[in-house]
Amino acid sequence: MGRYIARRLGQGLVVIFGVTIFVFVITRLIGDPVKFMLPLSATPEQREARRSAMGLNDSILTQFVRFLGDLLRLDLGESTYVRGHSALSVVFDYLPRTIQLVALGMLFAVVLSIPLGVLASRKPGGITDRVLTTLSLIGLSMPQFFLGFMLLIAFTVKLHWFETGPGPWTSNLVLPAVCLALPAIGRLSIVVRSSMIDEMNTQYVKVAKAKGMTQRRIMGVHALRNAGIPYVTLLGWELIRALAGYTVVVESVFNWPGLGFMAKTAIKNQDFYLIQAIVFVIAVIVVLLNIVIDIAYKVLDPRVDLQ
Amino acid sequence: MDVVSTLPRGNILQKRFRLLGSLLALSLVAVACSDSSKDTASTSGSSDGTAAPVKGADITIALGSEPTSLDPYIVDDGAERAINDNIYETLLSRDAGGTLQPGLATALPTQTDDTTWQFKLRDGVTFHDGSAFNADSVVASINRIVKLVADSATDNDGFYKTITGATKVDDLTVNITTAGADGVLPARMYWLKMIPTSAETTADLSDSLVGTGPYKFVSRTVGSDIKIEVNPEYWGDAPSITNVTYEFVAEGGTRLAGLKSGKYDLITNLPPQDVDQAPQSANVQGQEHPVLILDTDEGITADPNVRLALNMAVDKQAIIDQVYGGFAVADASQILSPSVLGFDADLSAVVYDAAKAKQMITDAGLDGKTIQLVGEAGRWLNDRELLEAIAGYWKAAGLNVQLDILEFGAYLDVLFDRTNRADAIFVSSSNDLLDPDRQLSTYYQAGGVGSSNTNEELSGLIDQGRQQLDPIERQATYEKAVKIAADGSYFVWLASNSDLYGLSTRMSWTPRVDSKLLVKEMSVTS
Amino acid sequence: MSVPDEYTSELHDVGEAELAEEALHGRPFELAAVRSRSGLLPDLVRDRLGFASLIFLVLLVLGAIFGPMILDIDPNAGNLSNAMQSPVWHGGSWDHIFGTDWQGYDVLSRLLAGARTSLVIGVLVVLFAGVFGVLVGLWSGYKGGRTDRWLMGWVDVQVSFPGLLLAMLLIALVGGSVASITFILAVNGWMVYGRMTRGVVLSVKERPFVEAAEIIGCKPKRVVFTHILPNLVTPLATLAVLEFARIILAEAALSFLGLGIQYPGVSWGLDISRAGDHELFGNQWLIIYPGLLLSLTVLAVNLLSSWLRVALDPQEREKKFAAAAIGSGKGAA
Repeated sequence: MGRYIARRLGQGLVVIFGVTIFVFVITRLIGDPVKFMLPLSATPEQREARRSAMGLNDSILTQFVRFLGDLLRLDLGESTYVRGHSALSVVFDYLPRTIQLVALGMLFAVVLSIPLGVLASRKPGGITDRVLTTLSLIGLSMPQFFLGFMLLIAFTVKLHWFETGPGPWTSNLVLPAVCLALPAIGRLSIVVRSSMIDEMNTQYVKVAKAKGMTQRRIMGVHALRNAGIPYVTLLGWELIRALAGYTVVVESVFNWPGLGFMAKTAIKNQDFYLIQAIVFVIAVIVVLLNIVIDIAYKVLDPRVDLQ
Repeated sequence: MDVVSTLPRGNILQKRFRLLGSLLALSLVAVACSDSSKDTASTSGSSDGTAAPVKGADITIALGSEPTSLDPYIVDDGAERAINDNIYETLLSRDAGGTLQPGLATALPTQTDDTTWQFKLRDGVTFHDGSAFNADSVVASINRIVKLVADSATDNDGFYKTITGATKVDDLTVNITTAGADGVLPARMYWLKMIPTSAETTADLSDSLVGTGPYKFVSRTVGSDIKIEVNPEYWGDAPSITNVTYEFVAEGGTRLAGLKSGKYDLITNLPPQDVDQAPQSANVQGQEHPVLILDTDEGITADPNVRLALNMAVDKQAIIDQVYGGFAVADASQILSPSVLGFDADLSAVVYDAAKAKQMITDAGLDGKTIQLVGEAGRWLNDRELLEAIAGYWKAAGLNVQLDILEFGAYLDVLFDRTNRADAIFVSSSNDLLDPDRQLSTYYQAGGVGSSNTNEELSGLIDQGRQQLDPIERQATYEKAVKIAADGSYFVWLASNSDLYGLSTRMSWTPRVDSKLLVKEMSVTS
Repeated sequence: MSVPDEYTSELHDVGEAELAEEALHGRPFELAAVRSRSGLLPDLVRDRLGFASLIFLVLLVLGAIFGPMILDIDPNAGNLSNAMQSPVWHGGSWDHIFGTDWQGYDVLSRLLAGARTSLVIGVLVVLFAGVFGVLVGLWSGYKGGRTDRWLMGWVDVQVSFPGLLLAMLLIALVGGSVASITFILAVNGWMVYGRMTRGVVLSVKERPFVEAAEIIGCKPKRVVFTHILPNLVTPLATLAVLEFARIILAEAALSFLGLGIQYPGVSWGLDISRAGDHELFGNQWLIIYPGLLLSLTVLAVNLLSSWLRVALDPQEREKKFAAAAIGSGKGAA
């Protein structure tokens, strides 16, 4: 297990390093943050002077060596959009709001997907199953930005139930979290349903049935626990995906100032340093989460061999 | 509220009435109350502005973007100004109509020679940290900006690069010197915010905002909000609003939803199509002038007749009505607002005549020829709609329009490209100082970032105007310059869109031509 | 997916499509089809939702190809005096069946042009990413050893990249067009094909007939093409259909964020964004039309793919039939 984690960490370092260098090369080759920093009326000389002052006129190799040196000290430079702040500190200003969003969204997803999936699996092909499965499919086929607008129109514009934009999570985070959760509910409940059906079909469940255990007890005690692995796989994937920047869509629709929203702004303003910091932090989170999920497997199912 | 309309909401007549009103008040203000208090048959008193303002009210303002920094010396950023205009003050200020008047100085400056301006300072003003405002503070402020300009560390070079330094004459008298004669200096001193001597060498003021203004900085949550509170020691009239929270909301729809739900008391950049949705709206003809810069030297736009035809082909009234919801005024063939020195009142907009424009294009042998129009989307009010509309008009005139709506970075590459000038480039020019120099040297003067002409006479006039110290002489010079460009159709002038604000029913405020959001001028009725 | 199957090298970081596929399998509706051995089309007709999906998609493709020709309205030809016309069923004219938007653009012609963009990008990306991924997978699986380790290492690393952010960044830097978006989405999405192909190659390689072919001196190329490729057809077809839906959503999301299709291109995502900015408090139908069409398209592709999966895979048929029979006691017939 220890060796396995070490190997995964090593692989993770390659990912983090690779993505950081990729972003470095791409942005330095074809980007220019100074364009976005100075007012439109700034003269070409002013722009040139600023580029020099920022060291952007040095050769890409010089810049790269400097970048690597800074990276070792975890210094990813100063943001050119949120001025006067280190890029990493900006990331940590915005990240908590994305974590809030993802946490509430995943909570909704878990709380709703399990009962829905179990309900559908009780009588495969029955009317409940058909309705729920179709709803799940609709949920996972709807693009989040469209779903978001529908929620916005219904609950903010028409009914005034929820507010959107920055603000306390109790009133402002409900709609974005629901929007983030709905496609996940669709995917997760289908997995619950199909693994429940598979489990109900196994020998030990048949034995339990023969011994006279009630359907409810079988489902609750045995089948659901064994259905846990595919569920955790998918939940982990949903979590990683959400934290890997996919919240940008939801955050944009609802003006929720999370990291995805900031990433969009940083990209549109070609803020190299901030983009780099965002991608770096996200890569670290993804790598660590992957390892945590692997360990979760091991805990759930001792048969899993972490090579 | 100078002009108040109480006609039913959503009425075309009302829009016309507003338009007429704002024209009559000439650069003054039209506040349109949709009066939802009447719609909802509220019995708790009216909000028509006659009710007594509430003392000690708290308000929330939604801005369209977050300040990129809170250091006014370093950035040129509207969101930063929206907040810092309440925290800091300047030597000169402007009245509602845009005329310079004393601020922290007791009078407009006098000149001791061509390059030296003398300011007399107000006595008894203190900074939020208790230190006194005096000649030393002015010297510190000037020193800080001069150093930042020299180090290329400020985005505001354009505002201050003529300033060379300041010297203290006595505690309340200070001389500011410029490199060469600079007629713009008083306007620059309307822009430079005064800081205490202790801040002169601070690298970034963002974390310690200390001014003399009516409000003090309280807190900042990056990405979410900034809070300020009233300064009880303020030297001027005590404001009626105590606490202000600024929130940053990029989408106009979300801002409006917050305004309607009562979360916000004031929102900026209310989309014109949503004016009827706002509890109250206020507008003023500001300084925003969307124009198309035409290449006068090369390509099919080198022919002045073609440039005139391009102007004639565009239905400005339809743009005012459809793109700006009626909240715009046709530009009189110039990029300057009436509130700015140099505005030529004798010029007028080119009259829309689609048939004649088409004929002129045919006469020039350009039927079906391609014209390149470059713009961007999302930066300025309804810019995409405007560009697509213009492409439609030019197509109707017989041209094949190649409209490129680019990502802002790619757009800037086109705007800055001096060797390969695009036929027509869209830009929305603004005028922060309310002085013509910067706008004209950027867009009218050969070599300016947004200029597509090489007229040396025009260039000379703009240089001359900058150095003239007498406002009447400057006015004459600029009128000549503006007329050259108008006669030669150097641009397609469109319509100056008003600044539009959404207000909650309890808010009472008259927007300013200089677009400043001064909370001390706002009040709240119960 | 309770145990790692043959084409996922890791337990967890499987590609999006693989999971979507997992999520979609086991729909009850296809059980009727399981019974029949009478060919694909009658099968499909019996799966009512699958059949409806097919009809919808066929209509969409026909509409995207021929609609603009029949309508003959430039989706970017707008006139402000013509703005906000009602659709026909609200008393509008037949010149603009779905009415016009605030720009005077014909709504129907924009919906059709948007369909064209979505379908073209979807097909091209699936084609490019599929071909590249399959080649890498074949090479990796067939060569084995160090080549395999390096190639699959590359896949593992790239799968862990934050793909959406990098796509946004690249488009912001090079500009959005059908070509650039296709390229970027293909570069971002080939890995899933690579992994799957490699898995199939590895499992087929072990089978006696391949070993026999090698022993009797078949050239490696011949072995690949005659023995391995046929085994790839079924999983590839299912995967490609799912990827197609994912790509359509990805393009729409990028265009929605303003980092995708730009004028004069037309995209559903872009139109949802335009309408959302402009008509959130106005005519909300202008948001709903493109949004609904996009959702229905993705839904139809998903439904079709789950039918396809069962229809093409005999093992799957047996499994589903057994599962349903036992789970419900009776089956869904």
